Amino acid sequence: MDPIISLKLIDYLILAAYVAITIVVGYALKKYMKTSEDFFLSGRSLPSWITSLAFLSANLGALEVIGMVANSAKYGILTVHFYWIGAIPAMVFLGIFMMPFYYNTKVRSVPEYLKLRYNEATRGLNAFSFAIMTLLMSGISMYAMALIFRMMLGWSLTSSILLSAGVVLIYVFFGGLSSSIYNEVIQFFLIWLGLLPVVYVGLKAVGGFSGLAAKLPDTFLHAWKNMGSAAANPMGVDWMGVVLGLGFVLSFGYWTTDFLVVQRTLASENISAARRTPIMAAFPKMLVPLIVVVPGLIAVAILPEYSVALQGTATPDYNSALILLLAHYLPNGVLGLAITGLLASFMSGMAGNVTAFNTVWTYDIYGTYIKKNMPDEHYLMMGKLATIFGVLFSIGTAYIVQSFPNLMDYMQLIFSFFNAPLFATFLLGMFWKKATPWGGFFGLLSGIVAAAGHYLLYKLNVIHYSSEMAANFFQAWWAWLTDFVVTIVVSFFTRKKAESELKGLVYSLTPRTKGSEMFWHRPEVWGSVALIIMVILNIIFW
Amino acid sequence: MPEKKSGSHFFDLKIPLGSLLSFYGFILVLYGVFGPRYIYEKSLGLNVNLIWGVLILLIGGLFLGFAHFRRRNSN
Repeated sequence: MDPIISLKLIDYLILAAYVAITIVVGYALKKYMKTSEDFFLSGRSLPSWITSLAFLSANLGALEVIGMVANSAKYGILTVHFYWIGAIPAMVFLGIFMMPFYYNTKVRSVPEYLKLRYNEATRGLNAFSFAIMTLLMSGISMYAMALIFRMMLGWSLTSSILLSAGVVLIYVFFGGLSSSIYNEVIQFFLIWLGLLPVVYVGLKAVGGFSGLAAKLPDTFLHAWKNMGSAAANPMGVDWMGVVLGLGFVLSFGYWTTDFLVVQRTLASENISAARRTPIMAAFPKMLVPLIVVVPGLIAVAILPEYSVALQGTATPDYNSALILLLAHYLPNGVLGLAITGLLASFMSGMAGNVTAFNTVWTYDIYGTYIKKNMPDEHYLMMGKLATIFGVLFSIGTAYIVQSFPNLMDYMQLIFSFFNAPLFATFLLGMFWKKATPWGGFFGLLSGIVAAAGHYLLYKLNVIHYSSEMAANFFQAWWAWLTDFVVTIVVSFFTRKKAESELKGLVYSLTPRTKGSEMFWHRPEVWGSVALIIMVILNIIFW
Repeated sequence: MPEKKSGSHFFDLKIPLGSLLSFYGFILVLYGVFGPRYIYEKSLGLNVNLIWGVLILLIGGLFLGFAHFRRRNSN
């Protein structure tokens, strides 16, 4: 197959400049990496504008952009649920209620909080499952990138994988989390600047938003109207699945307990900056559908292979929708910029996974089970070694994930095994002081087992859903509920921790910090504004 | 452990970011002015490189300006 896009010198120049600057930034950060906290947590010194954009970008990786444009071409405006109800409430909740526990206790990772609040076993369970999940995700990112680059430019899978892995390895090895975060901020600008031209030209071609709406079926144009029953909308999910599965369990599980995103908030310079991080990120987050959902809709309206699919006679390759659109509308120059934006989001997605992995590996696995109480330099060195292992493991994973067709569904699947139950453990841990150490452990374990069991029953056709996505959403919900109930039940029969040990870890045993800032600096105010805007957006696109 | 001053721990990201964007803006403008015309058939006749190049140049300049201003203030 011939590559879809042929690049010229100008495009290669743009691409090369990006690769060069990331390596320079990584290398320049090398001299600041004196302690393990510098390497793993940026010395807790970054301003909130940087951590907010990184918080957002960490999730705007390869899967997001390609997968969400694909979802939009498949399901239409329903895709906004991943950005609004499926993100904003959780981000606001993290900033207002949970951040004080994460930041003030000085924990260095999510598993470490579990150790303080529950016990060593709970931390171990979370740390190992997180480490595995992270490497899987990293492999997915790389595989997605390699596929795209083969289709776009004709590069072989292996050469794209080795190139991206090599660059990520260099800059994370030198600069740790700071490299990763700085690169995410650069990526934030590149992805917007790279994709907005195609949105603009595409909209112009279809006659603006009204012209676009005229070319699409009604089910593609409403976020809620057709959610009454799963059969009435292309996603095959009803409103309960979206609200409980995506909006509550998956979203809160991901945004408030996934160390990949939480790590960015821990890098903040102080507690107010840490609390502002997810809340300030909520505003650009709500706008992301402009560069992912709109291109998907344009693809359906303009490109024949996707408009044919509306009649249900063909199943096109949705994951190539964005690339075809770029090839269709963008001249060389801005085309190179768009491709650089994609490359940046691929690489920073992978770097995010690698930095989260090396932190959890070093602090929660190596430093807990393998070599305790070593001098700090030893752990700094281990972090650098883990970066190399992590990249090598990701490369292996990239070759494994090739057998799964829809990347996004696969991602949801992994989330629901590990992350969905975790939020129940945190919710009870932070807000119910009677949750006991073993309650937390068995709750989490049974949640993961419930998710895996549900998946098995669904695959064996014992339980039926109208779509794969509905199955994933409800699986998350049942896993969460299992964890929640089991934690409570086991807590009644096992020994509690002394209240003195839980100070600062549980809401009712933590002194409230009084809001001394002006009211327009308070996270509660901005969080409310974000929620109000989200509700308005949902009404507009009802 | 050395005392940490907020914001001064690492170098200012606005400098590499601003430089990269300014460079992109600059070469896109040049390409838009001196490059081939036929490539704009794709973009409905719009010279996207020129328009977008100017905008990116502005954003890049803004970052460099802020970084410069901040550095002068802190000296």
